[in-house]
Amino acid sequence: MNGERSRIGIGDLLILFGRSLLLQAVWSIDRMQTAGFAYAMAPALRKLYPDAGEYEARMRVHLEYFNTQPYFASFILGAAVRLEQDRAEGRDPGADAAGLKASLMAPLGALGDSFFWGALKPMCAAAASAALITGSWWAPLLFLGLFNVWHVGLRLGMLFWGYAGGGDAVALMARYPFTRMARRFKIISLSLLGGLVALMPFWRQEFRTVVPVPPAAVAGAGLAATFLIVAIMRRGGSPVQLMLGLAALCLALAYAGVVL
Amino acid sequence: MPAFDGHMIASILGVALLGGIIGLDRTAAGQFMISQPIVAGPLTGWLLGDVTAGVVIGATLELIWVLDLPVGSFVPADATTCTVSSTAIAALGAPAGAELPLIGFSILLTSLMVPATMKADGLVRSANFRSADKVMAASGPDLGRALTRAQLRGLVNFFLKSALLCCLFIPLGLAFVGVFRRLPGFAQEAMSLFVKLLPLLGVAAIVRKLSVMTVDRFVLTGFAVSALAGLLVHTPAPVVLLLAAAAGWIGAVYRERRT
Repeated sequence: MNGERSRIGIGDLLILFGRSLLLQAVWSIDRMQTAGFAYAMAPALRKLYPDAGEYEARMRVHLEYFNTQPYFASFILGAAVRLEQDRAEGRDPGADAAGLKASLMAPLGALGDSFFWGALKPMCAAAASAALITGSWWAPLLFLGLFNVWHVGLRLGMLFWGYAGGGDAVALMARYPFTRMARRFKIISLSLLGGLVALMPFWRQEFRTVVPVPPAAVAGAGLAATFLIVAIMRRGGSPVQLMLGLAALCLALAYAGVVL
Repeated sequence: MPAFDGHMIASILGVALLGGIIGLDRTAAGQFMISQPIVAGPLTGWLLGDVTAGVVIGATLELIWVLDLPVGSFVPADATTCTVSSTAIAALGAPAGAELPLIGFSILLTSLMVPATMKADGLVRSANFRSADKVMAASGPDLGRALTRAQLRGLVNFFLKSALLCCLFIPLGLAFVGVFRRLPGFAQEAMSLFVKLLPLLGVAAIVRKLSVMTVDRFVLTGFAVSALAGLLVHTPAPVVLLLAAAAGWIGAVYRERRT
């Protein structure tokens, strides 16, 4: 059945955004985000290709392997819809959606992992954990607010940017200097953690030591202990192994009568 | 050992429901970070009437697990299920409010939970692979329906994984609490000490991943600024942390200009 092709509007892009939130619902080791990508694209493709056969053929293209950083997938989704629109309207009949996805997913995946997981999330966690440990009850809200201002803003922004620019990743990098921002966020995280250690004498009651020594000595000892643990960690070990190691050390100290 | 009466069973089922729902945020839906320990811990503690246990567990596990990254096909430990279960064990193990040794012991129990969460994640991913395969095999009008079914099945799989693990971990953990209470006094003191030192372990875990230097100059900068503002001038902690963040920002910009 052939129907009239419709244009993609803001409403369609918002539906795409809503569906992109389920990009990893069927996440699996081999297929990664493939089904999620096709699920997000389905309404737009249905609108652009009223013919059932053509719709299915285009869906098959978008059921090819896909994996990237889930937030950066918005940019590729926007670009893919734009490309499908150009193709459906005859402006670019040979548009290669599979090629576009293949060329963008690896570099944007690496960039997104480094920015969101490797820099923004640790910075928000460092800020919120420091606030919580020093007694601010609102720290979880700070974490959610700080992270999601960037997350939702960029995720939505990149969808529209990808659609408007047709997948121009160079323009995206020029607009958002992700690498520089990631570097700054990492440095802020380190500085915040230094601040948290300095505030050790003022930590919540549960974390505070009971040894009667001056606050400056507690903070100094905390800093020395932190660097010592970092030096030990450089030899390797997972978080679980480190926790078990610390528990064993605490058992030995408590058995020897050491109380902090 | 706490009694497994109707109230306890209802609490465990309630926590399992909460764990299942916020566990979806971890991978399958949204990823708004509600599933992070710093949110999941206090939320679980608040629901069970022991915010302190949730705050202590959430803050420490956040620092320790935040850089266990889901990069590529690597599946990290499920910190959400561990945090929710650990908080529930502490809160339900001491209805009048968990004492510090019990909180420490509940955190230590997460080290036993981690391998099970990773195994369960592997099973969910295998089930999802079969769902995705059915989508590939579908054709015609069935394709759209198969895709929607696969999405729903994936969400159900992720929900059930977290919920069932909570149902498994919490009663087992409560049984271990009974054993823990019978241990000699030094074991209780060791767990108090464990809680007090855990934030330093968490700080070190992040510093190790973010910096190639063992004695990092930006950690020292933040420490110096905060020590001056907090210890000498007695500035409130949130302001001190703001100053530390500002010092980091200035340091980053200065380094960029120099290089």
